[in-house]
Amino acid sequence: MYLIKNLPTNIPYLSLIWLLPLIGALIIMFIPREQKNAMRWTAAIFAGASFFVALLVFFGYNPDAPGYLGTKMQFVEKIAWLPQVGMTYFLGADGISLPLLVLNGLVIFTGVFISWNIEDRVKEYFVLLLILVVGVYGVFMSLDLFLMFVFYELAVLPMYLLIGIWGSTRKEYGAMKLTIYLMIGSALVIVGMVAVYVVTGTFDMVVLSQTIFSRTFQIVFFLPIFVGFAVLAGMFPFHTWSPTGHVAAPTAVSMLHAGVLMKLGAYGALRVGLWLMPAGAQYWLPFIAVITLMNVVYGASIAMVQRDFKYVIGYSSVSHMGLVMLALAAANETALNGAVMQMFAHGVMTALFFAVVGRMVYERTHTRQLPELGGLMKVMPFAFVVFIIASLSSMGMPGTAGFMAEFTIFTGVMQFNPWIAAIAAISIPITAAYVLRVGYMAFMGEVKDPHFYELPPLTWQEKFAGTTLAIVVIGVGLFPSIIMDLIGTGVEPIAQRILDVAPVLAGR
Amino acid sequence: MSFQLSDVSKLIPEFLLIVIALFVLAGDMFGRWRKDDAGYVDRVNEAATMTLFGLGFAFLVTIIQGGFLLPKLGVTFQSVQPSAWWDIPSHLTNVLTNLRSSGLDSTILGGGFVIDPLTHIGRLVFIGAAIVTVILTMSARPSNSPGEFYALILFSTLGMILMTAAGELIMIYLGIEMTSIPLYVLAGYFRRNKLSAEAGVKYYIFGALSSAILLFGMSLVLGMTLMNAPAAQGEVPMVPTSLPAIALAVQNAFATPNDPGQAVLLLGLIFMIAGMAYKVAVVPFHSWAPDVYQGAPTTMTAFISTASKTAGFFLLYRVLLTGFGAPQTTGTAALVGESGGLAFGGWASIIAIIAALTMLLGNLAAMPQTNAKRMLAYSSIAHAGFLLLGLVGISRDSGVALVYYLVVYTITNLGAFGIMALIEDQVGGTEINDLNGLGKRAPMLAFMLTIFVLSLAGIPPLSGFFAKFYIFIVAWQEGAKWLVILAVANTVISLFYYLRMLKAMYIAEPDSDKPVTATFGARSVMMAAMLLVLALGVVPNIIYGALEQVAISIAAR
Repeated sequence: MYLIKNLPTNIPYLSLIWLLPLIGALIIMFIPREQKNAMRWTAAIFAGASFFVALLVFFGYNPDAPGYLGTKMQFVEKIAWLPQVGMTYFLGADGISLPLLVLNGLVIFTGVFISWNIEDRVKEYFVLLLILVVGVYGVFMSLDLFLMFVFYELAVLPMYLLIGIWGSTRKEYGAMKLTIYLMIGSALVIVGMVAVYVVTGTFDMVVLSQTIFSRTFQIVFFLPIFVGFAVLAGMFPFHTWSPTGHVAAPTAVSMLHAGVLMKLGAYGALRVGLWLMPAGAQYWLPFIAVITLMNVVYGASIAMVQRDFKYVIGYSSVSHMGLVMLALAAANETALNGAVMQMFAHGVMTALFFAVVGRMVYERTHTRQLPELGGLMKVMPFAFVVFIIASLSSMGMPGTAGFMAEFTIFTGVMQFNPWIAAIAAISIPITAAYVLRVGYMAFMGEVKDPHFYELPPLTWQEKFAGTTLAIVVIGVGLFPSIIMDLIGTGVEPIAQRILDVAPVLAGR
Repeated sequence: MSFQLSDVSKLIPEFLLIVIALFVLAGDMFGRWRKDDAGYVDRVNEAATMTLFGLGFAFLVTIIQGGFLLPKLGVTFQSVQPSAWWDIPSHLTNVLTNLRSSGLDSTILGGGFVIDPLTHIGRLVFIGAAIVTVILTMSARPSNSPGEFYALILFSTLGMILMTAAGELIMIYLGIEMTSIPLYVLAGYFRRNKLSAEAGVKYYIFGALSSAILLFGMSLVLGMTLMNAPAAQGEVPMVPTSLPAIALAVQNAFATPNDPGQAVLLLGLIFMIAGMAYKVAVVPFHSWAPDVYQGAPTTMTAFISTASKTAGFFLLYRVLLTGFGAPQTTGTAALVGESGGLAFGGWASIIAIIAALTMLLGNLAAMPQTNAKRMLAYSSIAHAGFLLLGLVGISRDSGVALVYYLVVYTITNLGAFGIMALIEDQVGGTEINDLNGLGKRAPMLAFMLTIFVLSLAGIPPLSGFFAKFYIFIVAWQEGAKWLVILAVANTVISLFYYLRMLKAMYIAEPDSDKPVTATFGARSVMMAAMLLVLALGVVPNIIYGALEQVAISIAAR
């Protein structure tokens, strides 16, 4: 959507996006410990400001204009960092990164409001939260492999403390498991990066994307890079950290984690794996497609039988991210479109889910066991409404963001292989079943516990965050072209490159 | 080639260290101190202050002599004619210029003392580390006779500089002993504490043994260089123990296939590596390290684990590259070996295997430790393994990566052990449990320790990450792919135990709510170290140029 035609060009928008939360974090560090509201407002203001700049860039991106050096990259910033080693500070955004930047801005902005009730060590909480967000923003806009990795790890590590200190249910275990899994993923990525660097002598992804590596090289090193990122996207069999981590994390962190952080993995797999090594992708993707089926179907089935409300959402993330990975594996233009759309749709939807489950329900009732809940609709109708909106999107109901995403993905996968599409489609009824099941068990029926009537009412912060997310779910569902057109321009070169390069190399 | 009076100016930092050490000793010995506690505090303060001034001055001199500052200040290397005797700016310019020109590349004392960028970097690192250590000891007050304590630190620093600058076998040996003997004493300084006494004795016995091994290796190598002596009597006669003479002997021995000298040289080299490997605590010569690091006064642990290890690596770097690193042009098996390969051809493969063992053992052994100091000791063994990745090749980039890693490692570990020393001082122990709830009791100390630990773990954007990443790249370039993959796996393992420290500090509940404090000096020096760790990671180019000079000058010899 090219709404803002004359955005001044001399402002480093992308740097601003990641610097704003960082400045916010620095300011919070110097606010006296007692002034908790000041810290909360600072966090909200800086998160909101970065969200605003992300929106500016989103609407100021001209899909028809030629981008940087034959790519679709705009808003490019490039500064030599360590030229002797071929590292640059190199940012740019295209149709893939822009929706994700907006998504991240949205989730952190609402996440700050959702964490308004944190009372313990407020300062550390918001500092870590904002640093985490800096990392996420950075990954989505880095065009230098090294820079991207720096941001990537910056996004992973604060998670350990965030879950370990403010989490619930087996938090130390969950935090350690998550960190170790993700570090194994990044270790795999490091191996791939080092290999790429030694061959080419640069980390510049635009240059790398125009380099054609030998077929053997691609086949060998596509795997560590793709799998390394896929661990973060929760790909089977490396998915177990994700439900455990989500359940243990404090609400806003679950929102960020399931909403945005898992997208880092999918984004990295797409941007680094598929973009730089199309022939390797061509070779491995059929296997990966089969494995992601496990995610999609098995993840949904597991979600069906959970008793813990948060685990249901956790496994539903595994299932939905499986769809993203499946679409990446199908690797045609339609499927990739769907993949990016699903990243956005799932991000918003799952953030809304966790906001309801973690903040509105759990922090009032202090239980997440489904059999102990029930009848919450009578107590907190607002939570019920937004939960149903998220559920509909999760089921892929037309009129919500999830519909457009899943429809496109299944179309693309169908072109790739109808059988795989057919098996993946099993997840659709299962998803509907588990979403309706938890909705029924938690919100409908009799009020299980009379104490539920005495629960404190929802605060305006919760309502604000819930409403914002719900509006986005429905708005994007009704007008998918706001995002879809943009995604198309970003995905097209990658799909084209796979079409062009892979057969040529396969023949060798 | 013998000693000339003009060489004195080239050795100003070393002379400064000796003179200050003697002053510190004398001041303590001849001062009229009161016998009570206040008198003791005065003694410590006087000795420490004098040491600090000396070290600080030597540091400044080195900065100017090494050319780290003058080009940036716009001072050119030209003497100015003073207009009159009171023309102080001109005099000052002349002093600075002369000082800098005395630091230009040269070799003095018959090849024994090499002045080159590596020496300058070494001086900076060791003197800097000594300054940090001294400031830390001022708040921890470990000593019962402060004069000796600080003089020993100074002597040991001097020894480390000799190790780095040594271009000849006897000077190498002198340097190692000069470094080690004061450190034996310092490690056992709390002689009434069992662990400390054990540390001292253990360190001494292992040290003596490894010196013997080193000397044996040197004698074998010397035999070969003496056989080459006639060839070396060119226009400028070579000292047979000097590294260039060794390089010549290596070249001659490998010029003809199946020369029996090859085996002797290789054997000598292996013994020498073994002797030096003890200094840097790599497997299988590491077993002294955990006990010594745990037993020694924590401030001394900081010094031993950083400066002394760095000196060992600088020495290895110079000896291997200058003495045994000559590119073999003859086509026969090279002593350097196939870089990073498993074929036993030379030292590169020996180093590669030692590196693999060291990383694995260091990281795996660190995991079950419950004492933070001991855990950091194993972690520093593991780091020695990573560092060896920079020695599997002779390329210029390897040198840059190695020296960068060493500088970063020194700062980071000084910080980590330094904070441990401050905590031990207040909490009374160095168990990981003693760190519990530090995030609440001392937010600033906990934050700094977090940064140091994360840098050790290699988390970007801290400098530890860049150091690791860069050394992985150069090792991969040298062909040691299997080693890099192993190293990357090891970084994940290492994260497990580093996170335990974070967990203790932030997640575990404190035993008491008493705040933990530190003196202003200690806090500010730790803060400076932390900022350096950050800065070197975010903008590594601030020292990249200087390190490139080091690598170029070593590779050129």
